[in-house]
Amino acid sequence: MTRRAWVRLDNASNIFLAARNDIDPKVFRISAELDHEVDPGLLQQALDATYERYRLYHAVLRRGVFWHYLQDSDLRPCVTLEDQHTCAPIYRPDRRELLFRVMHHRRRIILELFHALSDGTGALWFLSDMVEAYVRLRHPRQVPGPGQVPAQNDDPSDAPAAGGPGSASAGNPHTEDLVQTVHELTTDSFTHYFRRRRRQEPAGADADAGARRPAPVPADRPRNPRRKPRTKVYRVTGTRTPDNRPRTVELTMPADQALQLARAEGVSLTMYLTAVFFESIRLSSPGLGRARTLVASVPVNLRQFFPSTSPRNFFAIVRVAHTYDETTPDAADPGPVSRELERRFRPKATPEALEKSLRRLIRFERMPVLRIVPRPVKDVLLRLINWISNRRLTVAVSNLGRVTLPEPADSHVRRMLFHVSAVRPQFCAMSHAGLLTISFTSPFTQTDHIREFARTLTSRGVDVTVAAAQVTEDELKESRR
Amino acid sequence: MRHCSACGVDVEGPWTRCPLCATALTGQAAPGPFPVVPLRFSRRRVLRMLALASIAVVLVSFAVQLLFGRDPAGIGVLRSVILGVGSMWLVVLMAVGTRRNVAKGTVYLVVLTGLVCVYWDYLTGWHGWSLAYAVPIVCACSVIALAVTVRVMRIEVGEHILYSALTVVLGLVPLVFLALDWVRSPLPSAICGALSCVVLALFLLARGPEMRHELAKRLHL
Repeated sequence: MTRRAWVRLDNASNIFLAARNDIDPKVFRISAELDHEVDPGLLQQALDATYERYRLYHAVLRRGVFWHYLQDSDLRPCVTLEDQHTCAPIYRPDRRELLFRVMHHRRRIILELFHALSDGTGALWFLSDMVEAYVRLRHPRQVPGPGQVPAQNDDPSDAPAAGGPGSASAGNPHTEDLVQTVHELTTDSFTHYFRRRRRQEPAGADADAGARRPAPVPADRPRNPRRKPRTKVYRVTGTRTPDNRPRTVELTMPADQALQLARAEGVSLTMYLTAVFFESIRLSSPGLGRARTLVASVPVNLRQFFPSTSPRNFFAIVRVAHTYDETTPDAADPGPVSRELERRFRPKATPEALEKSLRRLIRFERMPVLRIVPRPVKDVLLRLINWISNRRLTVAVSNLGRVTLPEPADSHVRRMLFHVSAVRPQFCAMSHAGLLTISFTSPFTQTDHIREFARTLTSRGVDVTVAAAQVTEDELKESRR
Repeated sequence: MRHCSACGVDVEGPWTRCPLCATALTGQAAPGPFPVVPLRFSRRRVLRMLALASIAVVLVSFAVQLLFGRDPAGIGVLRSVILGVGSMWLVVLMAVGTRRNVAKGTVYLVVLTGLVCVYWDYLTGWHGWSLAYAVPIVCACSVIALAVTVRVMRIEVGEHILYSALTVVLGLVPLVFLALDWVRSPLPSAICGALSCVVLALFLLARGPEMRHELAKRLHL
C-alpha cells in the first residue's frame, strides 16, 4: 500500500497559484550556457541523478478543501529540446504533472519551474547540481573525485554590490556533504522561523547578517509608515504579444564594468540597476503625467538571514519607490535615484524589519477565521489582494547575484541567465564567469524601456550584447527567411 | 556578431534590424541563443466561456419551467424534451470537466442526476418516482460501478478512496427517505441502503487508515 508523503503549500506559494493567469503563468527559468553543444543523453543521466536527491522536485500539486498541498509522485522527468517560448505554463490543475522541466538548446541547459515549487535560490541549487553532474559525465578525466570539490565561496566580498540583500548567494549549502544530501518534502522555512513567537535568533544568523550589512541602520531613523508617495504610481502600458509569450531580451555585459558604475555611486548593483530601470521607464514613457511615482518590487532571499537548506520558497518582497518632480532633466542620470533607492531599501531589508513584516503576514494567514475559508474562496481573495498590490507597482526587479558553480562545472559554464514570466516589465539579473546578464521580460511587445536601459549603460562605457527572442509575427517571418 | 550603431550594442541571432530600436544592423550574424518558436493560440478561454454560457442557458431554461403549470396537458412533451436535452448537456460538460478523475466524476454524476430527477418529478406533479426509484437506483449503481471501475482501471487507493466513500454515504440517503416515509414502494431504497451499509462496513474494516490519512490531508487546516 503506497501512502504518499505530502506537505501543505507554504505561505508565499499560495499567492502564485491564485495570481497566475494566461499572461503570467508564474514560471521562471534559470539557464547555464556551456562551452559546447549540450549532449541530451548525458544531460538526461545528470538529471536522473540529481532528481533522485531532490524529493521536493518529485512533487505534484493537489487541491485540498482548504489549502493546496504538494504530494510525492513516481513520475520521471525527461529532458527535451527547447520547443516552447520562455516560461511557458507548467502547472495545469487536476493533472498530475511535475512542476518543473529541463530543456536544452544549443549550448544552454535550461531549468524551468512553477514558482509555487521553489524560488530562484532553490532552483539554482538544483541546476548547479545537475550541471555539475553533467560536466562530470562529459569530461570524466578531469574530475576531482567527489569530496574533493572546493567548497562554495559565498562571496561576501562583493557586497554591497552583488551580495546585498537584493541578491541570493549561490552558496549551495550542501556542497560539503555533497552527493548524500536529500531534499525531503519538509515543512517550509516560513513556518519554521516566523510562526512561533521565539525571540532568540537562529545560531549564526545574527553574526552572518551583521557581517553583510556594511552600514547598520541608525536606531533613531525616523520610521514613518505614512510617508508614502502622494502622487499616483506610474504603470507601463503597451501592446500585448500575440500569443501571450513574454517579450524576452537578454543584455550581457562584463560584470566588473557594471559594478564599477554602482560602486562609483556607493550603492548596491541591484539598486543601481533599478535606478537605471526607473530612468529607462521615465525616458521611454510618453511623459509620466500625474503618475510621477515609480515603484519596484525587489525579492529578498531570506536564507541569508535565516539559514535554511530547504529549496522551497523562502523570500520576502521589499518595495522601493522614487517620485520624480517636474524639473527632472531629459537625459538619464541614475546616480541620485540609485542613492535614494539604496537609502530606502537598506532599512527595509534588515533581518529585523523583514521578520516583523513576515510575522505579521503569517499571523494573518493563520487566523482561525481565514483558515476555515474554503480554498476556492481563498483563491478569489488572494487574487483580489494581488490585483490591488499590482496596481501600485511599476516594475519588478530580481537579482540572484554572483554565482559560482562547483568545479569542474564552473570552468565549463559561461554566462548564466535568469528569466521570469511577467505581468509588468521586469528584469532578472545574475552573474557568472565575470558576465552579468540582465534578462528583461514584459507582456508587451514594446522594447523602448530596454533600449533606454542599454543606451544608458553603453553611454557609460559598458560593452553590452543583446539577445532577443522573436515575438511578433513579423519578427518570426523575418527570422525564418 | 552584428552591431547597432544607434544603441552601441552587439546583437546575437538572425536579426537584421536592432530588436531595441529597429536601426539596420551591420556586420556578420552570429547564432542566437533562442529557438524560433511559432505562434501558438489556445482556445481554452473561448471554450470555457462557451461552456459557462451554455450552463447558464440550461439553468435558465430549467428555472423557466416553474412558470408553467404542473398540468401535463400544458407543455407536457415539450417540457420533457427541454429537461432531457438540458440534463444531457450538463452531464456531458460535467464528464468533460472531471475526465481526469473517474471517481470524482461518478460522485458528481450521482448528485447531478439525483437533483435533476427530483426537480423533474416536482415539475410534473410530484408522483414520488424520483425518490422511490431514480435516486436509490442511481446511488446503488454508482457504488457498484465505482468499485468495479477502480479495480479495472487500477486507480491508486489514495486517489479514489474519498470519492468511493462519498458514493457510499450518498447510498445511505435513501434510508432517510424510508425513515421519513417519503416513498410508496420501499424496496429500491431498502436494497440501496442495505448495499451501502455492507460496503461501508467493509470499507471501515479494510480501508480505515487510508481514509483517515486522505481526510487529514484534504481537510488540513
